[in-house]
Amino acid sequence: MESRARVLLLSALLLGLTGCASLHWPWSRDRDNAAAEEPVSAAEEEAAANAPPPKVIEPVVERRKVKVNKIDAENIELGGYYGALSIEDFGTNPVYGIRAAYHVTEDIFFEANFGRSRAGRTSFETLGGNVQLLTDAERRFTYYNLSLGYNLLPGEVYIGRNLAMNSALYVLGGIGSTKFAGDQRFSVNFGAGYRVLPTDWLAIHVDVQDVVFQSDLLGRDKLTNNFAAHLGATVFF
Amino acid sequence: MSFAGVGHAADKSAKLQQLFVAEAYLELHEGPGRGYAVTQVVPRGDAIDVLYRRTEWFRVRTKRGVEGWASQNDMRKTLLADGSLFTFDLGDRAGFTRHKWEMGVLAGDYGGATLVSGYISRAFNEQMAIEITGSQFLGNASNGYTAEVGLIHVARPDWRLSPFLTLGTGMIWIKPKSTLVLPDDRNDQTAYAGAGLRFYLTRRFFVRAEYRHHMVFTSRNENEEINEWKAGLAFFF
Repeated sequence: MESRARVLLLSALLLGLTGCASLHWPWSRDRDNAAAEEPVSAAEEEAAANAPPPKVIEPVVERRKVKVNKIDAENIELGGYYGALSIEDFGTNPVYGIRAAYHVTEDIFFEANFGRSRAGRTSFETLGGNVQLLTDAERRFTYYNLSLGYNLLPGEVYIGRNLAMNSALYVLGGIGSTKFAGDQRFSVNFGAGYRVLPTDWLAIHVDVQDVVFQSDLLGRDKLTNNFAAHLGATVFF
Repeated sequence: MSFAGVGHAADKSAKLQQLFVAEAYLELHEGPGRGYAVTQVVPRGDAIDVLYRRTEWFRVRTKRGVEGWASQNDMRKTLLADGSLFTFDLGDRAGFTRHKWEMGVLAGDYGGATLVSGYISRAFNEQMAIEITGSQFLGNASNGYTAEVGLIHVARPDWRLSPFLTLGTGMIWIKPKSTLVLPDDRNDQTAYAGAGLRFYLTRRFFVRAEYRHHMVFTSRNENEEINEWKAGLAFFF
């Protein structure tokens, strides 16, 4: 009895519910909206099916532009030297000059020298008393040379316990010209030097060079060898 | 501690190029040469400041203030702040084809006199350049100087052995030797046309050989013609 009454009640309730759904309640606009939306979504689906596949999003990010600063190249060496020059037949005399070098690679450099000296007296002049082979102006010995150098033995020197300095033993050779005794001659020079750098920008040089040129000053044409030893300092730019 | 350090760091520290180590580490050598000991390494990701460059080596400073020399080959693998590779002039075969400046020293024959010559050139593009040549000639009859400015056209700059044509004008100063008939110094305008060859050696070096035909516009009735042959070593930078 009880169960039958429950079935009836439940059936009535279910009927009522379905009835509610079919009724047009004034506050329920869902049904109208759904009806209105249906054809739109169908059109969209059709459009989506025909449209090309969606694009991969391309990020619009501007790269930070980095300006590369100019890096200072310190390959040029400028400086001077002082030393002794033995002018063949004219004794050994002080010599001074300027030096410029350009380091092309870690091994090879170009060097230009311009130097001056003054020739002394030949033995003949000294012994002969009043004999003068050259005038004062002619005794001026001026030369320049353009050389190619090679850092043969790069290394380091250690002075005491706390000081290490970069160094290099180099060889060089080149061409140039020498003005002496009222004549100017093509000259060839070659030699070797030792460079020590107390700091990265300062170099101390000790070098020995032979400047060779043809001279007919003392009667016959001969090749003269003019040895020079220099002590110099250069600064890197 | 260095010249660049003292001179530039104080006022230009903001302008130093900053780079980042991208390899496992960056080796810092004691000197600008392959043989110098490695005293420091900079780990990946660390920033370095480039102080200056000497030949194939860069003087760099780490963020802890340690300075050392890094090789060109290692520096090619460092990065700029935007993540791109740090690029710079390497001084290789590509540089032979395209560069801004070149300099060289040549020796040869100038109308029978020995010639010493130097030049510097500035390129407009791969093929055209303007160059200034200064020479001294030392002969039996006379000595003198020439200074010339001209254009050079390299037909195929990408070839290792590349021919070129040149055209220019200049001045000649002739000093006849005192023993000869023409006692006065002369200076005249000249014009030249020439051709030559360049051959790339290695690094920044090449051999240059050329012929120039000079026309000297003298004040006498007829102009003088001088043939010049020379060869030498040059480098670009």
